[in-house]
Amino acid sequence: MTSQRTHPAHPLLELRNLSISFRDRRQIAVDRVSFSVLKGQTLGLVGASGAGKSSVARAILRLVQADGGEILFKGEDIHRMKSQQLMAARQRIQIVFQEPSRSLSPKRTVAESLLEPLQHFAIGSPTERSRKVKKILLTVGLDHDVLHHYPHQFSTGQKQRIAIARALVTKPDLVIADEAVSSLDVSVQAQILQLIQTLQAEYGIAFLFISHDLAVIRQIADGVAVMYRGQLLEQAPADTFFSQPAHPYSRLLLSLASLDEPSPVLNHQQQLNPDGITNHRPSACVYSAGCAEVMPVCGQSEPARIEIKYKNQNMRGSHCVRCHLYDETNINET
Amino acid sequence: MNTAVLEVRDLNLSIDSSNGPHQLLDGVSFSINAGETTGLVGESGCGKSMTALAILGVLPATGMTIRSAGIMLNGEDLTALNHAQRRRVLGQDISMVFQQPATALDPVFTLGQQIAATVHRHGISGRKACRQTMLESLELVGFSQPEKIAAAYPHELSGGMRQLSMIAMATVCKPAVLIADEPTTALDVSTQLMILQQLKRLQTEYKTAILLISHDLNIIRQCCHTVLVMYCGRLLESTDPESLFSHPRHPYSAGLLGCIPKLSATRPPPINAIAGQVPALTDLPPGCHFAPRCDRAIAQCRHTAPEPESDNGRTVACFRPMP
Repeated sequence: MTSQRTHPAHPLLELRNLSISFRDRRQIAVDRVSFSVLKGQTLGLVGASGAGKSSVARAILRLVQADGGEILFKGEDIHRMKSQQLMAARQRIQIVFQEPSRSLSPKRTVAESLLEPLQHFAIGSPTERSRKVKKILLTVGLDHDVLHHYPHQFSTGQKQRIAIARALVTKPDLVIADEAVSSLDVSVQAQILQLIQTLQAEYGIAFLFISHDLAVIRQIADGVAVMYRGQLLEQAPADTFFSQPAHPYSRLLLSLASLDEPSPVLNHQQQLNPDGITNHRPSACVYSAGCAEVMPVCGQSEPARIEIKYKNQNMRGSHCVRCHLYDETNINET
Repeated sequence: MNTAVLEVRDLNLSIDSSNGPHQLLDGVSFSINAGETTGLVGESGCGKSMTALAILGVLPATGMTIRSAGIMLNGEDLTALNHAQRRRVLGQDISMVFQQPATALDPVFTLGQQIAATVHRHGISGRKACRQTMLESLELVGFSQPEKIAAAYPHELSGGMRQLSMIAMATVCKPAVLIADEPTTALDVSTQLMILQQLKRLQTEYKTAILLISHDLNIIRQCCHTVLVMYCGRLLESTDPESLFSHPRHPYSAGLLGCIPKLSATRPPPINAIAGQVPALTDLPPGCHFAPRCDRAIAQCRHTAPEPESDNGRTVACFRPMP
């Protein structure tokens, strides 16, 4: 396989029609998802719980097997790599999980947790390793004297800093942050967001930032991708997404998160029906059951991925949506 | 209708340790009117949940001492009740929705059994009547098929459904006061909204007074009539949400507001976090507890604690409030 692709902008990570299912393919978690993350940029992946965001993250690290599609990291398919190649790729892709108290081993000191990735990938000599660990601790705002402390001796925010340090110590190109700030207090969340933005400016790391909080995504992301029940409904540059969301589901999410409307009125009860689990038919749009702008066609055929063209094409990146509303009119007034 | 259903007067809570008592709550006073919601905000470890547990008199550890000038629920002092009297009041006149429904619900009983137990405890006898009340409470929080939920065990439900069932359990006796401790934390936006809508509906219907504890200021803004800002067991500011959001007076309130990511059409400037962290209970700084993290602090702040001062329905405890 050649790593030379003909794309003008070489994405660092590119997903093409990724599908993942569980329970002998009876439960489809991710359904033909395609998106790309550019070098040094942050892609925010949003969606309700159960939309398949974490499954995507796990598949990128090959922690779960994909059923179909490709995950290209620097042009190479992660799911076709031999073990040596995979090891090299994993050194360049790291992950930060939601709850630091669960992702850090309680039996290991900070030094042990941070040295492990370096030892695993055989990076540097022992002296270099401990120098690297001390440096990364400083970068995330912790002192050397915490090296021999155990996770329970830290606050949640400090633990998340340690988890971030562990992800950064191998100098990755891509960090997946799976709801990394969701369980934190606003004040600690702000500190961690501040840290991530500084680190990104300094090291040029790309982030796949998974969150259900749109305000957090607005703060940090260059691009936004929206998932719903395993499908990617919309992907757009952040400025386009937040000013002109195209998909009805994106618009609903935005109005729910928006402060300008203190009590958003939902025009469709389905969305808030606590036990309204509807079975999805493959021949319909996944969102048709909850959509406020549903049309007859939505229940009959699945919308294709459409790129919205703007009259003034100075916006960076393309705006793609899967919705029948955009079938006939590919030209949007801007 | 401006009658205070719940009035907390000078609530102090301390815990004994080998180096003497540590102050968990320090002179907390507030009141909630019927049909109104009061929000309690602050970082983790500031004493928000402790306030709730102290009001109910169900403290988690031994060695804790409550001192207060009274916790009045409809004119009855909760601190003067004995154990049996308290059991009568809890769940009936005042009840609580806990932070993590997964741990607060009993995994070996169905939700129907758990809610019916509350109903039975508070004086409705007869299986049929209990079941009827239980099903009504589930229907009231928005379940379209209450029988199904009643027959389910907690693990069979999603986080949002569990939380709604907890609310059904807490409100089945139509309490005058409901304490909701982080009822929407860890739920996604649409589920959050659904929970808040249901709380609001129950409130308008039964004139319930709600104490809503949350660290999410957006939720507080949307739901509350009054906001209390707490730090290290002290109330630093109390006011209505609109004036808090437009003009925070206490530097800590301003700091908290600055931490909220903004949802704007253009990309916001880098976020402004409050430096440092909440001090440990065993190591509270003298004077104003917030002084070491405050950029407006002066020498006086570091040795004297400012008294709360009221002006125009707004109380602030600060020597140098924001202009």
